[in-house]
Amino acid sequence: MLVRRALATAVLSAAAAIALTGCGLTIPTDPDGTLERVDGGVLRVGASPSEGLVEVSGDAVAGPLPTLVEEFATSRDARVEWTVGSEEDLADGLEHGELDLAVGGMTDTTPWTETVSVTRAYDDLPGARGRSVVLLVPMGENAMQSALEAFLDTEVSR
Amino acid sequence: MKSMGRTDLPVAQQEALRKAIRWEWFTIGYTSVTIVLIALVVGGSQAMKTAWIEDMLSLIPQVAFLVSLLFIRRPPSRAFPYGLHRVMGVGHLVAGVALLVIGGNLAIESIGGLIAQEHPAIGTVQIFGQTIWLGWLMVAVMLLVIPGPFFYGHAKAKIAPDLHNKILFTDADMAKADWTTTVASIVGVLGIGIGWWWLDGAAALFISLGIVWDGYKNTRSAVLDLIDQRARTHDDKQPHPLIGRIVGELEAQPWVRSASVRVRDMGQVFHVEAFVVPERGRVRLDRIEAARAHIADLDWKVQDVVVIPVSSLPDESDR
Repeated sequence: MLVRRALATAVLSAAAAIALTGCGLTIPTDPDGTLERVDGGVLRVGASPSEGLVEVSGDAVAGPLPTLVEEFATSRDARVEWTVGSEEDLADGLEHGELDLAVGGMTDTTPWTETVSVTRAYDDLPGARGRSVVLLVPMGENAMQSALEAFLDTEVSR
Repeated sequence: MKSMGRTDLPVAQQEALRKAIRWEWFTIGYTSVTIVLIALVVGGSQAMKTAWIEDMLSLIPQVAFLVSLLFIRRPPSRAFPYGLHRVMGVGHLVAGVALLVIGGNLAIESIGGLIAQEHPAIGTVQIFGQTIWLGWLMVAVMLLVIPGPFFYGHAKAKIAPDLHNKILFTDADMAKADWTTTVASIVGVLGIGIGWWWLDGAAALFISLGIVWDGYKNTRSAVLDLIDQRARTHDDKQPHPLIGRIVGELEAQPWVRSASVRVRDMGQVFHVEAFVVPERGRVRLDRIEAARAHIADLDWKVQDVVVIPVSSLPDESDR
């Protein structure tokens, strides 16, 4: 009982701390500030070629997914900096803070969920052809993920 | 001779038992609904996951209670001469060990997450065309489930002393403290919300330590009764007052010089061995029988009674 009471006090003071610092904060907020950095700045996006979704020729990245990403960047006053690599390269990039977003042929059964966060699945993307397409974002950057999902919800009819 | 123990209950206890059974079924129903509700929103929060598992674990005491009831009603037989009352203690032990093991596991998991600095991810959901952060839904669900345990916890705590049932008592005790778990999970989710990722792991750790503590209390209480500590009150706070009353009643008999007892808790009912040193070297059989009947009349819990004439009282018995 004593332990419980002590812990309960700790929890309640933590709750009070949240209530106090909560003033003027947006929820959710990124622990590593990804969305804040992207806004009006650079969106570092990794792309992995996938037929019908992402096409790579030389340095140019094109296709339905890159188009959506460019539109998302525009909506945040950001410009896109593309990096092309394998899915593992992109997942590593996200994990180590070198990328803000990764696109490719990833679906809701992607095995990368241990190290990166996965958006909701979008079935109706142009070029998805029945795949439940997901985008990858850095783990726990919840403001970034929420902004992206909200954007996709308005752009893509699910 | 008629059988010694008794498995039926007096009217007041029957009524209390009926109420207890109703509350246990209500709790199972309520908890099942909350488990499903939380499952819909559990997401990437370790605190939510831990609270969810705690919810599932909280079903064990109710199930243990209801299953044990099926057994303890059976009268004593030649194969089970003390009746099957100890089934209640076994159920209590199983519940305690389950809480202890799973709580410990969850504590290690949340410490691991904190050390590895895992940032919990919570995305959004689309409801009626609106995109909202899933964390808000988590907070809403948890706020919704706060009042239930408080309500049935107090109801069961009122019944437990009447039935002298320790599963029911610890179950009620846990339910009364359940709001701390729910509040902790809300704190964890809001922590994620403001970017304090570690608050989620800390909340999960708090919840799992609560489970471990519950497990420890239950296991300890169950083991102590199974290894026959002297009977204590339903909350284990003090030796049961019946011990002193039985000795007093025996010593009030004119033919008894001194008396002592060994009383153990079988789970709801007691098993009493009473030792008496008679005034003279001979004891009439009808006096022993009368003393036995007299003790059994004291309380419904003491039906399995033996009275043993001895030349001196055993040291370890209660006087």
